[in-house]
Amino acid sequence: MSVKLEPIVGRYTSFDIQGNQCRVYFEEAGNGIPLVCLHTAGADNRQYRHMMNDPEITSRFRVIAFDMPWHGKSYPPEGWQDTEYKLSTALYVDTVMAFCAALELERPVVIGCSIGGRIVLQLAHLHSDKFRALIGVEAADHQQPWYDTSWLHRGDVHGGEVCAALVSGLVAPQSPAAHRHETLWQYMQGGPGIFKGDLYFYRVDSDLRGKLTGIRTDLCPLYLLTGEYDFSCTPEDTLRTAKSIPGAEVTVMREVGHFPMSENPAKFRQYLLPVLKRIQDS
Amino acid sequence: MTRSTTATGAQLLQRFTLAASTFTKPRPVQVDMLVQFDDVPVIVRVRDGRVTEIVERAVAIQSWDFAVKGTAEGWRQFWLATPPAGWHDLLALNKRGAFTIEGHLHPLMAHLQFIKDLLASPREAVA
Repeated sequence: MSVKLEPIVGRYTSFDIQGNQCRVYFEEAGNGIPLVCLHTAGADNRQYRHMMNDPEITSRFRVIAFDMPWHGKSYPPEGWQDTEYKLSTALYVDTVMAFCAALELERPVVIGCSIGGRIVLQLAHLHSDKFRALIGVEAADHQQPWYDTSWLHRGDVHGGEVCAALVSGLVAPQSPAAHRHETLWQYMQGGPGIFKGDLYFYRVDSDLRGKLTGIRTDLCPLYLLTGEYDFSCTPEDTLRTAKSIPGAEVTVMREVGHFPMSENPAKFRQYLLPVLKRIQDS
Repeated sequence: MTRSTTATGAQLLQRFTLAASTFTKPRPVQVDMLVQFDDVPVIVRVRDGRVTEIVERAVAIQSWDFAVKGTAEGWRQFWLATPPAGWHDLLALNKRGAFTIEGHLHPLMAHLQFIKDLLASPREAVA
């Protein structure tokens, strides 16, 4: 074969989440410590393609990124047409735990961005014994809303376009144009109302302020990485959150926005690789 | 209102007018928006994805769909080749209070990326 194939392999699997059988798509590359990747609201696992193509990571980690049900190539559960999608904190935790159990991953590392970063905090709170380490990217226990989410799903505004246009400002101006627009394309391709349904979790159901007690970072290290250009989850939001979690380590990433792994993978790896090395060495 | 702030608004308007005159996208955008540069408001008329007219508000009662009003500092930072964090996007500026967005927001949200790009069109080129 004359063309070069990427090392990423995509598979489907089916498992139960809160009584619903879900057919879930995931991609993976590499060998070693399992590293489960959680995409942002309204997007999909393509955000992690650069990490799955990075030999410095895949030589030490089995990088696994799945599409949440309703996202990417994972269908909604059967009967979805009669429901409104609303992600809750409990459903999100159960989804991550069910995926890890289905793949029989033993104490994986989980990295999550945005809503994925928020749920990483809840995983640290509830299940730190189940994980080797947790990495929250653009993670905070709460953040101030900056637009009305009703614009995301209505008949007279194109959902994909408005989702992408709203989040376009969360990409740092320094991020390469190709990666910026690839990131936004994912938002243009989301299902109707899915970004809004994810934000139900983010805006309504997961105010974790004052609720993150008992996190044992000595048993499960917690790393928080936030981009300076993220005005949705600001560095101040992350720093405030970390103050309530003894042992949590915060790094503010320069010249990066809300989608580091997708919008500027070269910059992001400068911050991620040292964290992964510490996890590997621990 | 001082003479210097008026001059600043006029200079910002001049810069916007120059950039907007060549801004076009193949998109059926038809809006009248009020854009305020410091203390200088104008109405920007967009038809079929290009700016057809920029008019100063010569009369007291004039219709527009929505308004974007920014401080002089807000526009200057927004148009830097690499704006500082929090000054780099229309909605970031709105969140920090340097810009206000008012009026009938449907045309804005239906064409949000177009409007964002039009308002950013005077941005300096990266060296």
